[in-house]
Amino acid sequence: MKWRSRKKKEKRRNDYRCVRQQGGYEVIIMNYIPVTENDKRNMLRHIGVKSINDLLIELKPSIADSGELGLSNPMSELELLEHMKRLSEKNNLMKYFIGAGAYNHYVPAAVNHLLMRGEFLTGYTPYQAEMSQGTLQAMYEFQSFICLLTGMDVANASMYDGSSALAEAVLLSSSYNGRNGVFVNNGLNPQYLEVLKTYCEGADLEIVNEINEKTTCVIGQNPDFYGNLENLEYLSDRAHKVGALFITCVVEPTSLAIVQPPGYYGADLVVGEGQSFGIPINFGGPYLGFLGVKDFLLKKIPGRIAGMTADSKGRKGFVLTFQAREQHIRRERATSNITTNVELMAIASTIYLSLMGRTGLKNVAKLCYSRAHLLQEKLAKMDFKLLNDKPFYNEFLVRAPSGSSENVLSHLLKEGILGGLHLDHDNILICCTEMNSLQDIESYASIINERMLLK
Amino acid sequence: MKLIFEYEESITGHLPDSSDDDSHSLGDLPRELIRKELPLPNVSEIDVIRHYSNMSRKNFGVDIGFYPLGSCTMKYNPKINEDIAKLEGFMQLHPLSHQSCIQGSLQLMWELGEYFKKITGMDAFSLQPAAGSQSELLGVMIAKAYFKEKKEKRTKIIIPDSAHGTNPATAAMCKFETITVKSDSRGNMDINEFKELLEEDIALVMLTNPNTLGLFEEKVLEISDLAHRNGSLMYCDGANMNALLGITRPADQGFDLIHLNLHKTFSTPHGGGGPGAGALGVKTHLSDFLPLPRVVNDGKNFALDYDRRRSVGMTRYCYGNFGMLVRAYAYIRSWGNELRKISEHAILNANYLCSLLKEDFELPYDRRCAHEFVLSSRKLGQKSALNIAKRIMDYGFHPPTIYFPLIVPEALMIEPTETESKETLDEFATALRKIAKELKENPDFVKGAPYTRSVERLDEVIAARRPNLRWNAHTGLEEEDGKKMPGINEREDRRQK
Ligand SMILES: Cc1ncc(COP(=O)(O)O)c(C=O)c1O
Repeated sequence: MKWRSRKKKEKRRNDYRCVRQQGGYEVIIMNYIPVTENDKRNMLRHIGVKSINDLLIELKPSIADSGELGLSNPMSELELLEHMKRLSEKNNLMKYFIGAGAYNHYVPAAVNHLLMRGEFLTGYTPYQAEMSQGTLQAMYEFQSFICLLTGMDVANASMYDGSSALAEAVLLSSSYNGRNGVFVNNGLNPQYLEVLKTYCEGADLEIVNEINEKTTCVIGQNPDFYGNLENLEYLSDRAHKVGALFITCVVEPTSLAIVQPPGYYGADLVVGEGQSFGIPINFGGPYLGFLGVKDFLLKKIPGRIAGMTADSKGRKGFVLTFQAREQHIRRERATSNITTNVELMAIASTIYLSLMGRTGLKNVAKLCYSRAHLLQEKLAKMDFKLLNDKPFYNEFLVRAPSGSSENVLSHLLKEGILGGLHLDHDNILICCTEMNSLQDIESYASIINERMLLK
Repeated sequence: MKLIFEYEESITGHLPDSSDDDSHSLGDLPRELIRKELPLPNVSEIDVIRHYSNMSRKNFGVDIGFYPLGSCTMKYNPKINEDIAKLEGFMQLHPLSHQSCIQGSLQLMWELGEYFKKITGMDAFSLQPAAGSQSELLGVMIAKAYFKEKKEKRTKIIIPDSAHGTNPATAAMCKFETITVKSDSRGNMDINEFKELLEEDIALVMLTNPNTLGLFEEKVLEISDLAHRNGSLMYCDGANMNALLGITRPADQGFDLIHLNLHKTFSTPHGGGGPGAGALGVKTHLSDFLPLPRVVNDGKNFALDYDRRRSVGMTRYCYGNFGMLVRAYAYIRSWGNELRKISEHAILNANYLCSLLKEDFELPYDRRCAHEFVLSSRKLGQKSALNIAKRIMDYGFHPPTIYFPLIVPEALMIEPTETESKETLDEFATALRKIAKELKENPDFVKGAPYTRSVERLDEVIAARRPNLRWNAHTGLEEEDGKKMPGINEREDRRQK
């Protein structure tokens, strides 16, 4: 039933487009307001006022017109594009051998084409399920992917990013067992630790140095900040022995294609960053926080969850479920305040994982692994000492020959290579993904080789 | 429609084969750490494309039709801003790049902060929060740190009963107690009750202005004054800033903190629930508490400053939802000093639509509305708001917000935004009036709606009672069309048997 009549549109003139004088010409600026001068008159008449200003009286206007704000002149689409291009060109892109929480992976072309469909892009939270079956099914598939990859029973529809997902997991843990000590294993991404501290300060939780009966949870990142991969069973055992929850944090989730899921070594919660799954590095965001738990924590989960159900005819469908956990129902007793999440990023990763499939994702992980190891070996031959004491995935920490790290990195930079993250002393954290071609790795090594010979 | 997990095994691949340069198998990894089974599907590209294209067709967005979801500001998202956000120089930039390589992005962030300062009258901004709610959290953390430094023990936050649920939820996350103040007969926070509750342990007064009824808080100046004399801070939930652009500045109303929702007021697409972006603005006395890092400008270069002792710390990885900041920046630049037209037309559209509907529905607070208004369908019976919401789908419109404000029974919260034509508003009003008539003449028919979506009314009770929240490789999923699917509880039962 198509109710909306497609009556012939009268030719309309929008007198509201901003008109601006520029060098003697009139420039017309698009402004996305479709109401014409004639419409406006009729609307005001129907409301029973003379002018728009009459509608504003209750707002107690304190500004005569927005020119007073001192913003610039409006821009046409063409001018805007030129301006923005110029601004973007003030950035310099490099060949990235850096990760540390943001991983430069290949994104298949199809991801963006699907994401830009207005049906996905311009909808909102699916409060009205029948209107949003697309978003809801994508949520359900996303939750499924996260569970399959991490070994958890339930996942939510997304958190802002990996760091806030971790912080929320800690709040969840404290609300579950009423304790307030948070134990963080070595090797957590330092920015994540900063975020965690901020949230803990707000929530009166304490980061502690020992695991005991007051510990609410134990956190281990795997692979850790330095790329180390480890079987964290020992940590999970220590947590469970004192009745604390064990949280695994995964910041480079392509690793899950080749290593055991955290559920295997006893995680009660798995949180992390999904940016590696089809989301560009984008100067740090938007990214994709994920959060998965074991069944017994289901009612404590923050944020949206999609569930499968049936309609009045018995057909399969999806709805937001367990909404009684959420702020719009439960207010101060909600499991979290999160409202807007990062649904489109969750859809991006769902599409990415579907496109890559089991085979493709394993391939990504193997390329990451082998290229990082290749570079590490080349560097070892030039006296860059490997500091990882455990097997690593696609990031590793080296100590450059004494006093040379700045020099090496700035030289690489001149050649268009961001050679890694400079930590203290001469330590450099280096990352490879499938985007670092064999040739790139070769030139990285030979640039360093030249520098070393020059010395 | 099947799930992506239910396709038959096919062929995938977008990358060179790792075995080509595979001098390093996974040999170094301890055996027990190597994954034995990766239970993901292999689906061909064409099937993936069709799967998600068809899925999207069961969805509704601003690009498809009118989306008057109150409090969410579902305005048109200019396409040019999508292209701009995808400029390589922005999108492919690593956040931990050398300072000399990120000048364009830092300039954008710095300038955007300046625009927000002009628009709101605040003194400093952080663009780090990922959304409105995270900005609130940050704001409350700042208040907590501020009073801790002053060695004042303040444990409570005043929030009017018309507020969005995230306000009290935020307070709870920082261990503050929420004190709820009733609304008066004009939809303002009741000033007399407020005065009584304003005791010395009140840290913060959180107001939404215009509030969620779409009404400007008439006594906001007096409230700010009282709060400040009590030593409390004033927080503005700026979700409704689309009413105020270039008309009034929240700083003029006495607020010490405000958040902006960039996905609402500044038109970044809502993405089916996000990503959005938040921005938190504060007055000078709170600016040292803003999160790290801060973008600074010495007149020549831009830099990231991590050296602020009083800062609350970081609230997320890196600097914020940068991609959304680009869109918001472009949006503001395209409008420039004509920004006020946005709010003028948002208000015109809301008042016009309200005037078309207030005869057929109840208008609980009969005042001039701002950018949105709340009707009550109480007279049309219990659950009438829900039934209207479902039925309006058949007319090709997205339903209004119905789950709040809690103080209006059978609430229909309608926000048309400035990007809708008179023609669309007329059609929507006609549809709503028709439904009101249908409800009187044939209520059972309306209760069965919707009839034209991909599914009919969905059973939320079953979804909660028998949770089925993920596909499971071992139990499979669907028994047969028409049967209810087994959920977690049942799987659990089965395992125990
Ligand atoms: C009045 C109000 N406050 C706060 C929020 C929370 O903002 P966000 O969804 O960006 O977290 C919303 C919207 O969702 C809102 O409508």
